[in-house]
Amino acid sequence: MQEKQRLLTPGAIYFWATVLFLYLPILLLVLFSLNDSVLLAFPLKGLTLHWYQELLEAGEMLQAAQNSLVVGVISSLIATAIGTMAAIAVTRLNFPGRDVFLSIAAVPMITPSIVLGVALLILFRQTINLPLSLGLITLSHVVISIPTTMLIVMARLAGFSKNLEEAAMDLGANYWVTLWRVILPLSLPALIAAFLTAFTASFDEYAMTTLITGTDVTLPVYLYSLLRFPRRLPVALSMGSVIIVASAILIVVAEWLRRVDFRGGAKEETA
Amino acid sequence: MKKLSPTAYLFPIVMVAAVLTGCSAGAGDATGATEPLLVLEWTGYQMTEFPQFFQPFTDKYGDNLDQVIEYSFFGDDAEALTKMQTGFEADLVHPCNSWWQLYVNAGLLQPIDTSRLEYWDGIPDELKQLGQFNGEQYIVPWDWGYDSLLVRADLVPEMPDSWADLWDPQYARHIAIWDSAEQGYVITALALGLDPWNTTPEEDEMIKQKLLDLKPNVLTYWLDFTEVYNLSSSGDAWIVANAWQDAYGYLLDEGYDVEYLDPAEGRLSWVCGYGINANSTNLDLAYEFLNAAIAPESMAALGNEYLYGFSNFDAIPLVDENVAKLLNFTDLDTFFANTVFYQPLTEEKRQAMSDIWTEVKAAQ
Amino acid sequence: MSAEADVVRRPSGPDSEPTPRKRVRLNEQLRTTGQVGVMIAPTTLWLFFLLVLPLIMMTLLSFRSGSFTAEDSAFTLSNYQRFLQDASFQRLMLRSLWVALLVALYSVVLAYPLAYYLAFRAKRRQNLLLTLLIIPAWTSFLLRVLAWRIILGSDGMLNSLLLLLGLTQETLPILLYSPTAVIVTLVYIWIPFAALPIYVNLQRIDLGLLEGAADLGATPIQAFMRITLPLSMPGIIAALLFVFIPTVGEYVTPALVGGPSGQLIGNIIWDQFARALNWPMGSVLSLMMLVLVLLPLLLTSRLVRLSGLLEG
Repeated sequence: MQEKQRLLTPGAIYFWATVLFLYLPILLLVLFSLNDSVLLAFPLKGLTLHWYQELLEAGEMLQAAQNSLVVGVISSLIATAIGTMAAIAVTRLNFPGRDVFLSIAAVPMITPSIVLGVALLILFRQTINLPLSLGLITLSHVVISIPTTMLIVMARLAGFSKNLEEAAMDLGANYWVTLWRVILPLSLPALIAAFLTAFTASFDEYAMTTLITGTDVTLPVYLYSLLRFPRRLPVALSMGSVIIVASAILIVVAEWLRRVDFRGGAKEETA
Repeated sequence: MKKLSPTAYLFPIVMVAAVLTGCSAGAGDATGATEPLLVLEWTGYQMTEFPQFFQPFTDKYGDNLDQVIEYSFFGDDAEALTKMQTGFEADLVHPCNSWWQLYVNAGLLQPIDTSRLEYWDGIPDELKQLGQFNGEQYIVPWDWGYDSLLVRADLVPEMPDSWADLWDPQYARHIAIWDSAEQGYVITALALGLDPWNTTPEEDEMIKQKLLDLKPNVLTYWLDFTEVYNLSSSGDAWIVANAWQDAYGYLLDEGYDVEYLDPAEGRLSWVCGYGINANSTNLDLAYEFLNAAIAPESMAALGNEYLYGFSNFDAIPLVDENVAKLLNFTDLDTFFANTVFYQPLTEEKRQAMSDIWTEVKAAQ
Repeated sequence: MSAEADVVRRPSGPDSEPTPRKRVRLNEQLRTTGQVGVMIAPTTLWLFFLLVLPLIMMTLLSFRSGSFTAEDSAFTLSNYQRFLQDASFQRLMLRSLWVALLVALYSVVLAYPLAYYLAFRAKRRQNLLLTLLIIPAWTSFLLRVLAWRIILGSDGMLNSLLLLLGLTQETLPILLYSPTAVIVTLVYIWIPFAALPIYVNLQRIDLGLLEGAADLGATPIQAFMRITLPLSMPGIIAALLFVFIPTVGEYVTPALVGGPSGQLIGNIIWDQFARALNWPMGSVLSLMMLVLVLLPLLLTSRLVRLSGLLEG
């Protein structure tokens, strides 16, 4: 491909304009988190770090954020693990009921979260008498992410043929070794993408989670409950701002790590 | 060139997850001989953040509060009832009065032994009665507030003076009402001159039609009190229906030209209170909690902080003067006469109201 | 990626004879088929206990008159009757499908150039730019919708800007609390997510095809229309579905910015479960919605089978 002019191609302009559009409301949030007023309206009343100070003392909000983090990491790890295994089985091995399995695996994607939430609530509380907990929320978040993790890994696996595995097996490796040393490393970018996608979904999940929440709350549920008290809203905005900055740093670091370790496979990443 | 094996990635991730799990597990540990009191509560009343609302309790338990009390939060009465009905074993629950009958009918609450409540006599009989069912006291009334019309006096062409004025076409697209079946139904019934809690099916049909007629005037159904402030302060809504007096107080402070009406049909009032779970055995702590809740100093703190009404009228001398004025405490004689308290609902009534509201919302 | 597809090992010598190799592979296949169970077991268990079973329970609930007491458990079709007889439920359902379709179309149209830029022009910065797109999605969805409420409000940014530029004489309250506000907000939320499947798809297009086209004299536009666009169809369809399906059941955004005319079926369902406590009715509405969403899915999977997306 020829090198076009650096910066001002229409594509670039459109891209950066869209990025600006995407970030504008977020910048607004950050702006209001620094505003010396409870009301979210212009004109601004003055700059203050007061809300961030309150955030440091907002024990419950921080606990909720931590809960969301734990639930997110664990559920995403599980979803990625089992979704990857299923994806490999589906793309590499033809088994009876494969299509049925795929259809059912896709169901969480076509079911509104609120419906899943109620169905799960009925199961947890009426069918089996289980106390609601973060553990149950974690298990439920796995279900939501199964289709996306499978899809991402399946798309990746479809990109390279079975020949590598067959070659490895011809050379004497059994299936598990092949899996570990050949398939997984090659699909690692997809695994990471699947994990991040699952984490994003879990961290921000509200509609389903709120119905199966017990004593311990996740962050979105907590934030929504804050809406009743407008004086708490700016603190929520400061939390949101912190999350943006933290996740931005995290992603950039992850990106850098990935680039560093995949020198050998870098060819596959770029167009 | 050797690539890092996948394990190199999994290891740190697993470590992080383990550490985080460890942290949260540690934070959740409750030690101590007695079980902590589990309170199913609205957000915003937890004593961990607002110790002054339960001063005697927080004074007694000081730094060990986390071991003595635990909260599960809800944002909506229906949510709380659902939780309790599906077996959530909270010791205390904090519903509002339209729902009290439903809790009692479902056998979710145990009667309150009022002799164990030191400050019980400070609560006026009218409020006590709201929490009585089948001759027994099931709820300790705690907080209450008004439900009325919040008006931007500087924006309305003409000052309204009744609930029925909401239907006036001159306010088209400048009215906001609460997204609530009960509230919508009640104010419409009042506007039609009906008794909201004693209607015939024909009257219900009239109420539904009237609500459908209101739709062109409605800018939005507001969900939460942040919206009330924003709707009124931005001027998008000239009239916000079912706004509480705290919105009025805050907006006045911010310098807005707002009025809080005494509609011709009467100001509505909600009352919320605490009930003890029928299955609860954590009674000593529960009664300590309740006592602390209705102690005059706690009640005054509630009023001063949130501009909410409180059930123990002995606390009236302790609140700020402007709060007392806001709550009409300065004129107690007419207080009960002019206030229309929401009445407890039966399941049939609640369903009927919900069905009407659902159809109104679904209609184009 | 396509490099691997070209790697076909053809060892010389006795191993190149087809028959012994096939036999070996068949044995491998049989053994690994036995191991399929292990690979799909965890997912199957999860799906059964935390998806299929709850949905079955919910379906059972749709045939009851109430949720909690014993006398409510009698079998009844009254909820289904209510749905079929109430024209406003049906119209609202259709309107929700329509709004979801619009959101999906707008999101995909706006996202396509982004994906194109990322896949073809961004070179080594691809992943960084992609994550740049995704980061907003990490802020609370709730807070972002609130932000839009500020922007669209009558004393909000958009209005102040329009006034400043002299484009309008007075504020336009109609921006907020309308179906338009719902669509704008949802498109804003969905653009990054719509870009992803398209990007993945575009990435896998063999650049050699485009170069070949150029060599044969095709203009860039012709190359795009005849090669890139058709080849990216699976990604486009996937993106459309990816946005359409969750949006049908969306209720948070309509509740916050939709106003009385912007309510969607998700709001009514939510009301049944969270406010009206009419779980059976909510179950009926949810099931009806699932059915209506499955239909376009079946249709499009006939046109472009999911495997088409996998085979690229």
